[in-house]
Amino acid sequence: MARLTLSALRKSYGAHAVVHGVDLDVADREFIVLVGPSGCGKSTILRMIAGLEEITSGSIAIDGRVVNEVDPKDRDIAMVFQDYALYPHMTVEQNMAFSLRYRGFAKAEIRQRVAAAARMLDIETLVARLPRQLSGGQRQRVAMGRAIVRDPKVFLFDEPLSNLDAKLRVAMRTEIKALRQRVPVTTVYVTHDQVEAMTLADRIVVLDKGTAQQIGTPEEVYETPASTFVAAFMGAPPMNLLPASLSGEGAVELPGGTRLQLSGASSSRLDRAPSREIWFGVRPEHLVPARDTSKAEIVAKARVVEPLGSDTMVQFDLGGVALIARMPPKSVRAPGDPLAFTMDPHDVHVFDRASGRRI
Amino acid sequence: MNTAPPQRAGVAGSADAVAPPVRAADWYRRKRTREAMLVACFLLPSLMIFFLYRILPLGWNVILSFEYWSPLKAARFAGLDNYAEMFLEDDVFWQALTNTLIFILASPIAILLALAVALAVNSDLKGAAIYRTIIFLSYPLMSVAVGIVWRWLYDERGGFINFVLRGTGLIKEPIPFLQSFGWALPSVILADIWQVVGFYMIILLTGLQSIPQHLYEAARIDGAPASARFLRITLPMLRPSLFICAVIGILNSFTAFDLVYVMTGGGPAHATELLVTHIYNMGFGETRFDYAAALTVVQFTLLVILTFLANRAVGGNAGSVESA
Repeated sequence: MARLTLSALRKSYGAHAVVHGVDLDVADREFIVLVGPSGCGKSTILRMIAGLEEITSGSIAIDGRVVNEVDPKDRDIAMVFQDYALYPHMTVEQNMAFSLRYRGFAKAEIRQRVAAAARMLDIETLVARLPRQLSGGQRQRVAMGRAIVRDPKVFLFDEPLSNLDAKLRVAMRTEIKALRQRVPVTTVYVTHDQVEAMTLADRIVVLDKGTAQQIGTPEEVYETPASTFVAAFMGAPPMNLLPASLSGEGAVELPGGTRLQLSGASSSRLDRAPSREIWFGVRPEHLVPARDTSKAEIVAKARVVEPLGSDTMVQFDLGGVALIARMPPKSVRAPGDPLAFTMDPHDVHVFDRASGRRI
Repeated sequence: MNTAPPQRAGVAGSADAVAPPVRAADWYRRKRTREAMLVACFLLPSLMIFFLYRILPLGWNVILSFEYWSPLKAARFAGLDNYAEMFLEDDVFWQALTNTLIFILASPIAILLALAVALAVNSDLKGAAIYRTIIFLSYPLMSVAVGIVWRWLYDERGGFINFVLRGTGLIKEPIPFLQSFGWALPSVILADIWQVVGFYMIILLTGLQSIPQHLYEAARIDGAPASARFLRITLPMLRPSLFICAVIGILNSFTAFDLVYVMTGGGPAHATELLVTHIYNMGFGETRFDYAAALTVVQFTLLVILTFLANRAVGGNAGSVESA
């Protein structure tokens, strides 16, 4: 069990900087998820923690010991790779025992550890098989087993579910969550899937272009996104963002001339706005169908209706901007149906137009 | 084309009721037959060429080896006479067989050398691509050209190797590389290794580059030292490539006719005689095609046995590419 500290971590390939000074303090037994789009630097950060990439500047400390120059094998970490990285010519048992062989464990203890990990991951019957004789999910379990037998200080996961089909991904996500409760080790998990991030993380680090846009619990990141990037990236479907302007006294003018009056804390924070030009954000589920159309803040007609069973996603236009609303099932049947929404002022988000930062 | 099996006919009261029922099993059997015929049509041209130029001559060669035959006389059955002569009376055959086996045993040296070169040019070595190209360039050269160049290099009086050895003071008298019974075979083998090492290097380099980097990274994290990474990951993952090199090495040893013929002609005193040069000498030198055919059968059998053993040595699944 260990703390992991990243301080002003930077990585450049020649003149091209990919990680621009990331600070992160991971508490003992905490599960941190690095999430972001392709090329945001999340895997590079993970590989720097593992010691597979050199650090351009900054430091990485595990339990207070700076490991910048420490060889990967001496960092006491275990890593699960995107493509599993199982040794194809070795059996499951040999794969899981591989690291223990080079760490001076006695044969009896190696057998015992491998058996215990296999039991935990329900792969006891597969230990004599070669990786090519396993399904994707089984390979994933073996990869996790290989990490578990080591009993390392820090677990690193590099997009471990991205090679699985959608159904198996959901099942494995649940298994990782359950495993994590049984083996509570400090973990850094990289993914581009915001659902994985939300469901697994104690805290999420949202990365964009090598910069941590926001670090917080899943609730914080979802409910109070620090920027338009976070607002749009976290949540499926993403938050609706409309170009709007402040019209004084806590009022916001939306495209198409709709005027929305914010109240209380929502209103007072508008005073801090550096300019009148803003992004107005509202999540699809926070567009509430209005019982009384005359009191609705948004009136429109459905353009696309997508019934999902549990919800119905409805796309519509507001002043030329496409919006999406999550509505109760069967509440809207067809394109052209009239729509009327109200919004709770506490559920709307305001971002500075120029910087994209939350106001 | 109808791709779905027909429904069972014979519904009571319908017009189909009078038609004979078409069973699904029959439909699938006919479909398989059609597919087999299509496959056969595609394969036939290649199979015909293979049969005419490989199987037929081989079969005729086997028959010939049990006959007394010359172009001017009718063939007579000879039983095992040609083989008996070969094994009991022909010293040159044993010399050629020994030399061929030595040639084969030298191919691991070439493979090891190629592996070392492949590992070097696969690393971050500066100018690796240039070295790779230069080393490979030896392979496309015609063996006759290689033989001539190496004959000059080995020349006793004006050869470059003797010039260097004498210049550096390592020897006082020039070495008659290709004229000495002891030196001739190693000298020819060295020239052969020089020619094939570039080709082996390319095969092994391709194999090396197909090994996923993640395996090495996982091994580094697992704590495996560089030697263990080589022995436990690189070598097992290179098995298909090593097998290809081994088979090419064996084939090359059996068919290195032109190099030997140009450099030494099989001499001196059969010191560099290979089975293939002996077959040539018997067939086209002494017009004993029947005896040459028997030699060919022995060479073919050896080739099959050695290829089988090489396949077994790499686990019996040579050519397959393992993946995680």
